[in-house]
Amino acid sequence: MPESYVPAVLIVDDEEMVLTALRSFLQLETSFRVLTTTSPAGALDVIRKDSVDVIVADFMMPAMDGIEFLKRARELRPHATRILLTGYADVQNAIRAINEAGLYHYLEKPWDNDRLLLVIRNGVERSSLVNELDSRISALEAANVELFEMRKRLIKAFL
Amino acid sequence: MTATEAVHGRDAMADAVNAAKMATLGALAAGVAHELNTPMGALNSNHDVLKRALARLQHILADEVVEPSELNEVRRVVAAIHDVLQVNDLAVARMVELVNSLRTFGRPDRALIDRVDLRETLESALTLLAHRTRDRITVVRELEPIPPVQCYPQEIGQVVMNLLVNAIQAIDGAGTVTVRTRALESAVQIDVEDTGIGIPEEFLGRIFEPGFTTKGSRVGMGLGLLLTRQVVERHRGRIGVRSTSGKGSLFTVSLPHTLDSGGVP
Repeated sequence: MPESYVPAVLIVDDEEMVLTALRSFLQLETSFRVLTTTSPAGALDVIRKDSVDVIVADFMMPAMDGIEFLKRARELRPHATRILLTGYADVQNAIRAINEAGLYHYLEKPWDNDRLLLVIRNGVERSSLVNELDSRISALEAANVELFEMRKRLIKAFL
Repeated sequence: MTATEAVHGRDAMADAVNAAKMATLGALAAGVAHELNTPMGALNSNHDVLKRALARLQHILADEVVEPSELNEVRRVVAAIHDVLQVNDLAVARMVELVNSLRTFGRPDRALIDRVDLRETLESALTLLAHRTRDRITVVRELEPIPPVQCYPQEIGQVVMNLLVNAIQAIDGAGTVTVRTRALESAVQIDVEDTGIGIPEEFLGRIFEPGFTTKGSRVGMGLGLLLTRQVVERHRGRIGVRSTSGKGSLFTVSLPHTLDSGGVP
């Protein structure tokens, strides 16, 4: 990740007051780009257009619940870290979120800022490592293809 | 009916209404707690942000000089303080509204007759039911100005709550609940209309009967509608229903402006 890179955190919650509280906190404590929206459909548009490192979603939202939203977000940005912030904490939803949306972390409302910050920072780190791993695998695959071609040329030249 | 019988009848009804009210409050408790959780979560976070912001400013001002290089940080902190204070205003207002609604609905002053604006009664009940409507039901308010009515506020509050709960329960999935108030010559009228599953014609004449329920079709609340009718009639009011199976129901309650000597004992 280049030094000038600024990680982006996308937060989706149908309550504007939750978005403002989270945005104010993250802007005070981090240099992350903080994107917020009350609409899951709008958030999917953001994910399509913008590079996002961490996605924090409320569970209970009109039209689309947080797990369904994170499931769709995963299809669009598989490397983004997905976090569910919920006032309806229960084991069934946690299991569903982990299985269906590949959840990284599950936080309950009312949240603790220190805990939230730790989870988001770790999420950014995780996303960065996954991206780096992905680019190294791509580089290895490209090198492998090049080596294979070189081997073919050598065989052709000497045999 | 003798005066003693009337008082006993009044006490029995007040007890029945109180029991129904407590059952409703119990059923709403988890939802109300969730409604409080959002503003409380925001306030909790914002309180922490304000402490952090203060610490930043104290650190910058420790040498009693604000360097030009520190100005951007000061602006950032002030912007955060401004934003969280705005949210705090909204969060506190919402919590006050919820708590007032709980007090309006739950206070045990059953023996007191008062003059009540039924639009406030409707709004209090809708606030307590917000968690049940928010994600799937549109609430339309057509509230004409109406004069206050003389009544037992807790009993009429339970009537309004019963009608709204029934309307919400009748809607499977998305729909609309419309509440109306209208001033009549010597009475006020409340309508609660839903776009739910409706009541089959063969049941319409029986829904206010003791023990009648249609649990399978999720219409009505058995004792809820019987009690609703009894409370309305004790206030010398009227309750009516129109319904089309598959399209929805309209419950209409009219209450006189005053309780004369022949009204509620």
